[in-house]
Amino acid sequence: MSRRLTAIVLAFLTLAVLAPPALAQKPVKIGVLTPLSPPGDPAAGQLIVRGAKMAADEINAKGILGGRKIELVIEDDSGTPEKGAAGFRKLATQDGVVAVLGQFHSSVALAVQDLAEQFKVPIFATQASARAFTEKHLNYSFRTHVIDTDRVQLWNRWIKEKGFKKVALLAENTDYGVGLVEDTKKLFPSTAGGAELKTIVFDRAVVDLTPQLLEIKSWKPDVVINIGVGTPAYLIIKQAADVGLLPGTPMLVSYDMPARAEFWKNLGEKGNYVSFLVYYHPTMKLTPRGEAFRAKYREQFKEDPVYASLNGYAQVVLIADALEAVKSDTSEALVKSLLANKFQGWNATISFSRGEGPYWQQWTPPMLMMQYTKTDMPFTEAKIIYPAEFKTGELVVPR
Amino acid sequence: MDLHLLSQYLLSGLVIGVIYSLMALGITFIYSIMKMINWSMGEFYMIGSYVQYFLLASVLGWDRWYVALPLAMASVFLLGVVVQRFLLRPMYVGGVERRDEYATVMTIALMVLFRNLAIVLGGPNQYSPRDYAKPTMLLTLPLSGNRFVALVGALVLLALFYLLVTRTWVGRALRGAAQNRIGIQTAGIDVLRLDMLAFGVGVAMAAAAGALLAPDFLVYPENGAISTFKGFEIIVIGGLGSILGSVVGGVLLGVIEALGSVFISPAYKDLYGFLLLIALLVLRPNGLFGERERTV
Repeated sequence: MSRRLTAIVLAFLTLAVLAPPALAQKPVKIGVLTPLSPPGDPAAGQLIVRGAKMAADEINAKGILGGRKIELVIEDDSGTPEKGAAGFRKLATQDGVVAVLGQFHSSVALAVQDLAEQFKVPIFATQASARAFTEKHLNYSFRTHVIDTDRVQLWNRWIKEKGFKKVALLAENTDYGVGLVEDTKKLFPSTAGGAELKTIVFDRAVVDLTPQLLEIKSWKPDVVINIGVGTPAYLIIKQAADVGLLPGTPMLVSYDMPARAEFWKNLGEKGNYVSFLVYYHPTMKLTPRGEAFRAKYREQFKEDPVYASLNGYAQVVLIADALEAVKSDTSEALVKSLLANKFQGWNATISFSRGEGPYWQQWTPPMLMMQYTKTDMPFTEAKIIYPAEFKTGELVVPR
Repeated sequence: MDLHLLSQYLLSGLVIGVIYSLMALGITFIYSIMKMINWSMGEFYMIGSYVQYFLLASVLGWDRWYVALPLAMASVFLLGVVVQRFLLRPMYVGGVERRDEYATVMTIALMVLFRNLAIVLGGPNQYSPRDYAKPTMLLTLPLSGNRFVALVGALVLLALFYLLVTRTWVGRALRGAAQNRIGIQTAGIDVLRLDMLAFGVGVAMAAAAGALLAPDFLVYPENGAISTFKGFEIIVIGGLGSILGSVVGGVLLGVIEALGSVFISPAYKDLYGFLLLIALLVLRPNGLFGERERTV
């Protein structure tokens, strides 16, 4: 009897020691599908991954769903729809992730969101702003980033307030670039104060934009909007300075690329007086979670965080919170939880509703327009030039 | 259309065309001697730009671009020699039956290898050396100092190349090899050694283009892709194997692209060169200066 009892106790002990931990420690996998190599914008992808990893480390210190860990599965989409689609398929079918975040290029996001619907795995746009992404009203597509339309409305209001009469727009031929051109054309007559608009769309692979910039220069615009992403955005600034368009004509970069450290390394004095849109500013008041992240980021990387890292971090935390709220690790439960609950983001409370038009499963961060007025100026010292309620300086145009 | 602006477009096309022709010349030179297409030409352009950036950023300082340029060319020349000696020579001495396929597979493999090595070693981000010179005017065209340096550099290299090929003993041997590989062996010339030299010089031309254009077109792992693409277009337009064809084809392509992108649409800039290429293939299948191959 005692021998049988001992055997049973030993068997239970063996099961208790080996099997349950193996089940309990099965990680919750989250995919990060983002550009980590050209022709995409790899700097953006690296910053998103940086934020996502910090979130995973923070969550894993406590664990979720009763002590389980988060495991990030990182895939490079190279900013191309075909690589994005292949990466998403792998994440959904092979890795079994509960959700995928990190989408930066609109062309990729629009391509993979149909796969998200097919595999019933939620996809999060981290910095892809094409209106169509949320306008399609798909069940598994979420975004915590601005929409092109909002971006266009902001610069149209600015154009009207500044009294600009001639606006040139130089855009790459991607979903992002073409989408912004279409939105600007649509909203320009009603919101830009009667200014004249000239649009030029170029092939993203082209490296010599001199003829287009000469054409713009001869048109004598009051402002040029630079809608390139990554390398094309740099080439526009460099070559605009070479043909003498900059710095005498103000240039607005359509996203927060100039906030990154490599901006000055690549452009030197040619980057001076460039204006740009941002979604985060170091003087912003953040949520307790955002403040903690900012402090930790500064300590770890000896620099201020940029928006891509903040949003990468916030999306991983958002997914973990949503799973915790429903005590489940399934994608279906995650979608239900995201729609039913409110979550603490990096600068405000995030919630999703199924609104009209592009405001479907969409949460929008604030947007500011900033300008550098000195070569090598740190991002933290750049002036906010728009909107009026946040303004810390006026647009400076050297004559 | 005002004439001033038109002259600016023409000059801008001319400048970029001359620079494109450096790349095309390397491709056509290697083809002439070795009878193989080097698909990894753009990656040698890319390596040239990285070496130039590294030398300026870490060794020589930003102002000594003129010292870095020959060093970048020399490094890529040596790399080319090594690649030819160990990876391409077996095509001729190893009893390889399908040489064209071997060369294609090998150079495409090199393209992938070099591109990924650049990502591993330098990261995926863009880099840019400081400007080589101050902005200037070329007749009516406001031109960056870098583009002016690249134009002058390209013209000097093209002239040196012309002198090498036409005025030296090695040049005569190379022209002989281009005409008949077996024939020059009967004259006692080591054609395999000539291959090594031709491959090294060809890829060094690409490296020069990469190093000269680094401040204008940036340094990143895929920056050579567009140059390879243009290089192949130019050699078909100018005629495979023709040095003059490379230069004229480059200028023609540059001007057509500049004018097409302004008068039609910049979204289809690459299309204009292709239309010219298709027209030439129909009307002059050997290109503008290419000659029909004659064998006995």
